[in-house]
Amino acid sequence: MTTTDTLTQADPARSGAKPMIELVGLTKRFPGTAEAAVDGLTLTVDEGEITVLVGPSGCGKTTSMELINRLIEPTSGRILIDGKDMTHTNPDELRRHIGYVIQETGLLPHRTIAQNVGTVPKLLGWDKARIAARVDELLEMVGMDPATYRGRYPKELSGGQRQRVGVARALAADPPVMLMDEPFGAIDPITRERLQNEFLRLQQQVRKTIIFVTHDIDEALKMGDRIAVLRNQSHIAQYDTPENLLTSPADDYVSDFIGTGASLKRLNLSRVRDIEMATDAPTASVSAPVAEVRAALLASSWTSLLLLDAAGRPARWVTSRDLARADQGAVLAEVGLPVEAIVEPHATLADALDELIASNVGCTVVVDGSGAYQGIVDLETIMTVVRTVRDEYERFHLAQKLAQQPADGQAR
Amino acid sequence: MTFTEYLTRNYDNLLELGLEHLNLVLISMGIALVVGLPLGIVAHRNKLLRNPILSTAGFFLTLPSLALFAIFIPVFGIGAPPAVAALSLYALLPIVSNTATGLASVSPAVVKASQGMGMTGYQRLLRVELPLAWPVILTGIRVSTQVVVGIAAIAALVGGPGLGTEIFRGLRSQGNASAPNLVYGGTLGVIVLALLLDAAFVLIRRLTISRGIR
Repeated sequence: MTTTDTLTQADPARSGAKPMIELVGLTKRFPGTAEAAVDGLTLTVDEGEITVLVGPSGCGKTTSMELINRLIEPTSGRILIDGKDMTHTNPDELRRHIGYVIQETGLLPHRTIAQNVGTVPKLLGWDKARIAARVDELLEMVGMDPATYRGRYPKELSGGQRQRVGVARALAADPPVMLMDEPFGAIDPITRERLQNEFLRLQQQVRKTIIFVTHDIDEALKMGDRIAVLRNQSHIAQYDTPENLLTSPADDYVSDFIGTGASLKRLNLSRVRDIEMATDAPTASVSAPVAEVRAALLASSWTSLLLLDAAGRPARWVTSRDLARADQGAVLAEVGLPVEAIVEPHATLADALDELIASNVGCTVVVDGSGAYQGIVDLETIMTVVRTVRDEYERFHLAQKLAQQPADGQAR
Repeated sequence: MTFTEYLTRNYDNLLELGLEHLNLVLISMGIALVVGLPLGIVAHRNKLLRNPILSTAGFFLTLPSLALFAIFIPVFGIGAPPAVAALSLYALLPIVSNTATGLASVSPAVVKASQGMGMTGYQRLLRVELPLAWPVILTGIRVSTQVVVGIAAIAALVGGPGLGTEIFRGLRSQGNASAPNLVYGGTLGVIVLALLLDAAFVLIRRLTISRGIR
């Protein structure tokens, strides 16, 4: 019983989900080349999931994607979308029902943002009022004020904004399926991080079936519900969830591709809200009497105490030496160290660790949406998580092995 | 008679000749556009035809203008028709080559994205490629127009209309005191017309090129 429960919990995606994109033996041989660019790619993507195709450059991942909306016509094999064979339908018609985002965005420079976002609805013959309403709705959705940006031209936007418009444009006619070819590849790291997060939040809302191409394993681990690691000719080395990819890579190729630091990467998969924070850190109000603050610090096993402001937001870290200075007349709100490492519960453990390392006190303060203190993440908390995750997966794979044996026994 | 006196007396005549000249240029350019734009598009889309088209259009520009005018006399007779035929051929190369170059300069990402959104080849050409290539194409049309305005003056030799008639009237009456005035008058007319057309192109540019690509 327990074993079955663990299995379904660890792999919920496969149960009950409907396949949305099915690629069957998809092959592309360009004229005059000995090897096929894509050789017999077979892959099923469930509805509402993001599947990432990741691999080194030249492995055929972009070609594979362009076979799906038939920008490149497959030599053989079949493409099924929502159970319907799309291999021989009108390609233009097919593409109007598949959202498409590319790295260079490909926004039409001579058209306004509104016209760009409304491209596919216009091709589908929607009336003007409906297109205008949809454009405004989408711009809102990607976090751009319609009144400000509607009439602008692509060259008047930053790279990040252009990519947002690219996503809005792909979503315009509400296609069930989206193809995204390195959509955040040409953007600076900070903006990329933000766009990735925004997109994941958006995906929570729209639940599209997405195939996402990238060469960046970290992006794949972050964005993917499932990841297909590709080797030459789009051969699938492993098709699995991010967790399984990190804990049990199928072979050396996959583990090489994931690279060193798989444990560190795993920190990207856990969020602060999912772990047990330390809540026993001593706290006191900035306006409290020094004696009371000292009592709180002495009562705990900690060497520093967190001062909170009137709204419960972290203000400063103080040690007993700082309190001594406060005794000599220094204002409590000015002694000690400012609190620099602060994260919200939806931050990943990697974010928390990053803050922690950069901070001056060796721990990260977790605050809620309004900035009020919730708890502390320190190195020990993170180490515990890494150990637990590793143990859990070892148990899971052991359980999987054991589960197969009795089944064999029954067959005999 | 001073040049100023000549101008004040012949103002009407020069204006009429100028309008004839303009008419000749516009008709020739119209024909060159109708032929040149499609040829440019074909040259862009078809790699095999690209060089034959561009070198044929280029060939006409290398012919001496007088010879080109003369070639058409047996076909069209004397007057405006051979002039229009020759001028249209002269105008062809900048239009054809700039159309092909302009289309080739459209960003491949934009073309790919348009295709990926489900535009047909025809929609892509009309809504994306031609509008984006338009600044380059328009420059070609402008260059053609300037070339044609100048060469149209020679059309008078085959009996064609325009300011050339005034210039050649002056050249034929060498020794006559008013002869230089005729030559200068016709030439001045051509220069003014060229400047006016150029100004018109500045306006057309403003009106027809999207703010997004200016």
